[in-house]
Amino acid sequence: MRNLLNFLIKYNYWLLFLALEALSFILLFHYNQYQESYFFNSANAVTGKVYEVSGGIASYFHLKSVNKDLLDRNMELETKIQNLEKTLKAHQVDSLELLSIERLPQGSYMLYKANVINNSLNLADNYITIDQGWAAGIRPDMGVVDANGVVGIVYETTRSYATVISLLNSRSNISCKIVGSNYFGTLRWDHSDSQHAYLEDLPRHAQFNLGDTVVTSGYSSVFPAGIMVGTVDDMGDSNNGLSYLLKVKLATDFGRISDVRVIARKGYQQQKALEQKSIITNE
Amino acid sequence: MNDWLNKIGWAIGLVLLQVLILNNIHIGEFATPFLYIYFVLKLSSDTPRNQQMLWAFGIGLTIDIFDNTVGINAAAFVLMAFVRPTFLRLFTPRDTYDSFIPGKKVMGSASFLRYLVSCVLIHHTALLTIESFSFISLGMLGLRIVLSTVLTTLCIVAIEWFRK
Repeated sequence: MRNLLNFLIKYNYWLLFLALEALSFILLFHYNQYQESYFFNSANAVTGKVYEVSGGIASYFHLKSVNKDLLDRNMELETKIQNLEKTLKAHQVDSLELLSIERLPQGSYMLYKANVINNSLNLADNYITIDQGWAAGIRPDMGVVDANGVVGIVYETTRSYATVISLLNSRSNISCKIVGSNYFGTLRWDHSDSQHAYLEDLPRHAQFNLGDTVVTSGYSSVFPAGIMVGTVDDMGDSNNGLSYLLKVKLATDFGRISDVRVIARKGYQQQKALEQKSIITNE
Repeated sequence: MNDWLNKIGWAIGLVLLQVLILNNIHIGEFATPFLYIYFVLKLSSDTPRNQQMLWAFGIGLTIDIFDNTVGINAAAFVLMAFVRPTFLRLFTPRDTYDSFIPGKKVMGSASFLRYLVSCVLIHHTALLTIESFSFISLGMLGLRIVLSTVLTTLCIVAIEWFRK
């Protein structure tokens, strides 16, 4: 017995060693099953606090890379926004065009798409050149409109190009009326500025206000009725005093027309031939 | 008393260093320095074994609590503390003093290195074996033990050589 006690006293560190190892392994097996245990994991208040502080400090070391990531992201988003805006713009133009086309009565008109490749504003007689010609079905005396309103009338065509008599041309005369009144007159240009034209021959008993909308009358063979031309900007008397002379602010901005529609009215040639014939007959 | 405060200060410092910095070091996915064993390595040679093992258990368990590896570091560290006096006797020249703090000056560089590597190897082998708890990828385990041992030894040598 004494020997055993002596042995135990002499080698007590063995006991402690075994006890500590046993405790370690008990903990190991116990808490590896229950990772979420309250006391021994890092959710413990002290360790949590220490990690919180160290994480706060450590986050400063990543600021540079975080900043770079943010810049990259920023650039990416900016590019995206630009692309979206571009797309949106394209769609806006399209939707306006769609609207202008939707205003046309369906069925009796054909539309051709064309781009303006040459344009002038400051000459006495301005012509526009578009990139579609008779090969695409475009013929002289067809009407040309853009998203905002009337542009002009096709004058001559080649195989793949056409010239258009712009509204800003002394040869241009388009039959127009004021929305709501049905009195009509002729739109002419007086070489003054590219934003205004004059509506002549409007009867004196016609009633209208400044700001009223001027649209095509539909009486000519060129344009269908109701296409936007402009708004009444100012009014006065014609030289002979028998009719009004209205200053019309043109809806089309001739300084920046780019894509246009050519309107072909079905049967317009027949109508024209008929009108020519009656004129000749009258003479 | 002063000695105890000093030791507790060292222990807290080493635990924080280990938990906050060294545990995040994984060189090549394999090597992590376990510098906290430096505490027991530098205990005086006449420290009772029981006291050494209790220190080891306390520090090991603290690190385990931070690491969510309850028991692993404690078990490995207690094992190291248990065998340390044996290594110390083995690698110490006969004619040294009765009580000394292990170091290259007292023991000589070669003896100290042998003592250091032996202890580190024992600790790391136990630690990483318990951690992986299988011998399936024995090559991987061996690689981790060897690389981590090299890294820890280098760290301790660096500290030892630059301390006065």
